[in-house]
Amino acid sequence: MALFLLYPINITLRRGTRWKRGKRGAGSVRGFAPYAESGGGAPGQPEAKLEVVSLSLVNNLINGVSLGSVYAIIALGYTMVYGIAKMLNFAHGDVIMVGAYICFFICSDFGMSPILGILAAVLVCTLLGVLIEQLAYKPLRQVTSLAVLITAIGVSYFLQNAAQLMWTSNPRIFPAIFGSGGIQLIGDLTIPYKTLVTIGACLVIMAGLILFTGKTRTGKAMRACSEDKDAAQLMGINVNRTISITFAIGSALAAVAGVLLCSAYPKLIPTTGSMPGIKAFTAAVFGGIGSIPGAFLGGILLGVIEIFSSAYLSTELANAIVFLVLIVILLVKPTGLLGKKVSEKV
Amino acid sequence: MLKVDNINVYYDKIHAIKDVSFEVNAGEVVALIGANGAGKTTTLHTITGLIRPESGSISYTPEDGGILDLARVAPHKMVARGLAHVPEGRRIFLQMTVLENLEMGAFCKGKPAKEDLENVFGRFPRLEERKKQVAGTLSGGEQQMLAMGRALMSHPRLLMLDEPSMGLSPILVEQIFDIIAELHKSGTTILLVEQNAEMALQIADRAYVLESGRVVMEGSGAELAASEEIRKAYLGG
Repeated sequence: MALFLLYPINITLRRGTRWKRGKRGAGSVRGFAPYAESGGGAPGQPEAKLEVVSLSLVNNLINGVSLGSVYAIIALGYTMVYGIAKMLNFAHGDVIMVGAYICFFICSDFGMSPILGILAAVLVCTLLGVLIEQLAYKPLRQVTSLAVLITAIGVSYFLQNAAQLMWTSNPRIFPAIFGSGGIQLIGDLTIPYKTLVTIGACLVIMAGLILFTGKTRTGKAMRACSEDKDAAQLMGINVNRTISITFAIGSALAAVAGVLLCSAYPKLIPTTGSMPGIKAFTAAVFGGIGSIPGAFLGGILLGVIEIFSSAYLSTELANAIVFLVLIVILLVKPTGLLGKKVSEKV
Repeated sequence: MLKVDNINVYYDKIHAIKDVSFEVNAGEVVALIGANGAGKTTTLHTITGLIRPESGSISYTPEDGGILDLARVAPHKMVARGLAHVPEGRRIFLQMTVLENLEMGAFCKGKPAKEDLENVFGRFPRLEERKKQVAGTLSGGEQQMLAMGRALMSHPRLLMLDEPSMGLSPILVEQIFDIIAELHKSGTTILLVEQNAEMALQIADRAYVLESGRVVMEGSGAELAASEEIRKAYLGG
């Protein structure tokens, strides 16, 4: 309550020193490593001041889209599993963490190529995802969804604690596997390679998933299962196998997201995946859970809102603002931005 | 072709199907009639494995001969054995297009054969006109046609229809039953579950009457249609 009373004052204070905040914000949003470096520009001169403000705006936008791309990739996993298995896999965020650790060990400890690291992470996470589904969720297919939800939370803690046991809670610093350089756009605006890779990966993954679910036989079977499992079974679709494939895809995406997340924010600990996991879940709900373009849109918007809130309003309240926006959207449109309400004809 | 022998089915403690036995011979139209809650749909679900019987057996003679105990066959393997089930309420995939629904019907065959699609479109020209349309936008009658067309994509030997007339206008009901008669003529064996006893008995070679989970009467379609009891209970006097 006290926080909210202070909140408007906070905004005015920030507004008063906007350009300074902007510049600083671009350099160290939320204390993380910067996505894009903003250049100099002599303070004090009005034209330079304007330039810095717009430059930092562009920088923040790029940062937001980049963070949003990571959320989107995680949200795609959430939304696919929800769409087909009708369950919220709260362990999804921790699969991200496992993926990041695997890539870290391959690249840092064994000094092998990042591509090998990413492949290993994808492979391990895919197997882990299928294993979790088989051991923890499949036996619960016929019980209430609440029991499955609680199990998912249990699996999440299990993975975190197992990681702590195996790898300790000492933070590892994730290597800069995409190099530290970038592409210089105009003047002082440079986009780091990792940002480009992140945004590119997200676009490729989303396009791939849309093609997969729209054009392939297995993808169509997935959509059939997501609508009506009994009817899908009557068509000869093996529902259990389809659910396993969905978990495999979702977990492979989680591995990719883990690598991208840790390339941007290199501090890797056993709970690294939990907050991004919850935010990505928020993004999936925001965009309309079950919808692939919805997860993409929700993820990007969430990332942009988060970065802009912390750059221009309050770093401390950035998360609160993100969730506030979610609540408002859901009040106005309960099915999320692109969520559909299906009405059945009798 | 299909022999259901003394099956008992429970929903938890509710004894839904009690010692039900019946058979469907190749080339027949067999109707299961009865009021709401008599166990008709449960019986079909038990045949296609969506529910398993507590006791009794369901033997089916597949194309390659021999006898298959359906109670031991996984539900998703039924369709490859020639059993197609058009469920109550159609259960088409509302968010998929008409064409995608038909493709799902041929899922066990891999890619749908062109002639199968043409065959279905020949029977239901409406579906061809709307093949790119999302199934949820179809009218009730069109949805029923799609559900039947989807089942036909798998070349069923035994087509099981659950309340195909439900919620349709009398003209559409006539149309659907005409199509069932045509399918019968072209050699498909049909097991029909209907509340609309009048229509069902007109078309059926033989019929069974279910009441509270038991078979209470059986006979040829004409016999049952003429029976005093049936007229009183199901045909409005």
